[in-house]
Amino acid sequence: MTGTDAPLYEVRNIYKNYGSVVALENVSLAVHAGEVLGLVGDNGAGKSTLVKVLSGAHSPDSGEILLEGVEHHWKSPHDVLEAGIETLYQDSGLAPNLTVSSNVFLGRELTVKGPLGKLGFLAQKKMDTIAHEDLERVRIGVAKSDRTVAELSGGQRQAVAIGRAVSWARKVIILDEPTNHLGARQAGEVLDVIRAAKAKGLGVIFISHTLPHVLEVTDRIVVLRLGKVVRDEPTSEFNAQTLLGTITGLISTQP
Amino acid sequence: MATREPVATAEQQAPPSPGNSPKTAERRAGRFGRLVSNQQFILVVVLVLLVVVFTVINPIFFSVSAAGNILVQWAPIVMIAAGETFVIVTGGIDLSVGSTLTISSVVAAFAMAGLTGSGWADGPTLVVGAIVSLGIGGLVGAVNAVLINVAKLVPFVATLATLGAGAGVALVLTKGGPIAGGPPSASGLSATIDNGLFSWPVLFVIVILVIAGLFLHKARFGRYTFAVGGNAFAATASGISVKRHLAKVYILSGLFAGAAGFILYLQLGSGSPSAGTSDELNAIAAVVIGGASLAGGFGKIWGTVLGALILETVYSGLTIINIDPNWNQVAVAILIAAAASLQALRGIHLRRKA
Repeated sequence: MTGTDAPLYEVRNIYKNYGSVVALENVSLAVHAGEVLGLVGDNGAGKSTLVKVLSGAHSPDSGEILLEGVEHHWKSPHDVLEAGIETLYQDSGLAPNLTVSSNVFLGRELTVKGPLGKLGFLAQKKMDTIAHEDLERVRIGVAKSDRTVAELSGGQRQAVAIGRAVSWARKVIILDEPTNHLGARQAGEVLDVIRAAKAKGLGVIFISHTLPHVLEVTDRIVVLRLGKVVRDEPTSEFNAQTLLGTITGLISTQP
Repeated sequence: MATREPVATAEQQAPPSPGNSPKTAERRAGRFGRLVSNQQFILVVVLVLLVVVFTVINPIFFSVSAAGNILVQWAPIVMIAAGETFVIVTGGIDLSVGSTLTISSVVAAFAMAGLTGSGWADGPTLVVGAIVSLGIGGLVGAVNAVLINVAKLVPFVATLATLGAGAGVALVLTKGGPIAGGPPSASGLSATIDNGLFSWPVLFVIVILVIAGLFLHKARFGRYTFAVGGNAFAATASGISVKRHLAKVYILSGLFAGAAGFILYLQLGSGSPSAGTSDELNAIAAVVIGGASLAGGFGKIWGTVLGALILETVYSGLTIINIDPNWNQVAVAILIAAAASLQALRGIHLRRKA
């Protein structure tokens, strides 16, 4: 299934502590171009911390981060976005007081031509139009571009966040619980978006508690427990029961 | 129309059939709700009512000279309130603006007195005074930024510290008295032009307000300001450096306070250690009356402009109709409470819609 042998985005031996709390211990994982990697684990397993390391929001205490085989020391999420890696954060990635299109373009605003553009004056209509097209392409509950996110339903907000991530991603897309707040049909549409991203050759990291979704859409699954990777296998090696057992620790993973 | 689920999916059905009644009704309700909950619209009504009431009680109130006087008082307050609007939109607060105004006007007064004493002409002296005033303002803003970003103080505590320090330094420097001896033509500059409504400082302030409004509402700088106040994490995750943006905003607030300090110097013709005492409260009141939320993420320069205008109209009006000026504070308190309550009610309205 994978496009090339060399991983597209990879972390090796990542350690991260918060004070005396060990959040990540010797974590390694890799996603290839055109591959969907599932990342699962119980609450507190370290998924969110790992997402923040992958997205540049947190720096690891030690370990390597490689994009296309080149080591990177991300200083901020800005570096990571510039490198073509998009992240959908669980719940908190949008500014509720800003409009849909302002959120889609946040941090990457289009400015008007000429000297006013140099001063940062915004091409708002252009952004509204493009944002609307982007969201329409994603086809998950298109919301009007000029409404504020606070006025949207949970599903619409999630759609905006996904649409934003998908339309900007050039290499890797990290989706932390993208099917939260969604009904069955909309969740199915999100899975279609993931398949489309994979078909485009992006590396997708899919974090979810909804195990049937993970089994349905991923090529490979990494299971985190108490900050450690306890299994990293092709999805075909798991079924619903063994996956749940591995996550909860009921199935021993000691070789 | 295959499905009839709530908003999220209904919106997705394309194209929506013309005359889709629930949507049209919702849109109409939205437009009506927006007008009723438009704080700036309400402020204009309040301002007109105030003018009518004061005029009925004492017709002198409705005159060019009274209005011109209100604008003179309004200029320095709206200046610091405009800077405060940026700060409050980020979810912060700048308590130091009154002190910053004072100390920048006092230091500029010393500089100008020195230059005038050594025989400088008024023009260049005033230019140096303006630069010194802005410089001191920007410096205090930078200190605030360092206290917040590096020393990790919350904005309230950081700017409370600079409020106290600024006021103290101003008193030490001046030994409590006004600093005169600057360019003799200074105070003439703040007189109204041809006995009309406007003076040069007022015109300057209006130009700055227009520019500030454009930057807050039409430019990237403002977009980041709203993003930081709406969801700082989302801003960071979108590649915005929140710390750097906050530093810019607090320095901007300091610069505006410095400009207000110079304007006040022109009005008084001297630097006074009590020039800006408790002006930070007037500024914050103007911003809140203007419809900004202290929780961050909401606010308009236009609202602040009206808020400051209402404050000064009340102050002037109460004086003109011969009410004990101590009632000013009570009147302002009522205005703040009404504005904040309006905002809370609007918040409920928005949540019900969501």
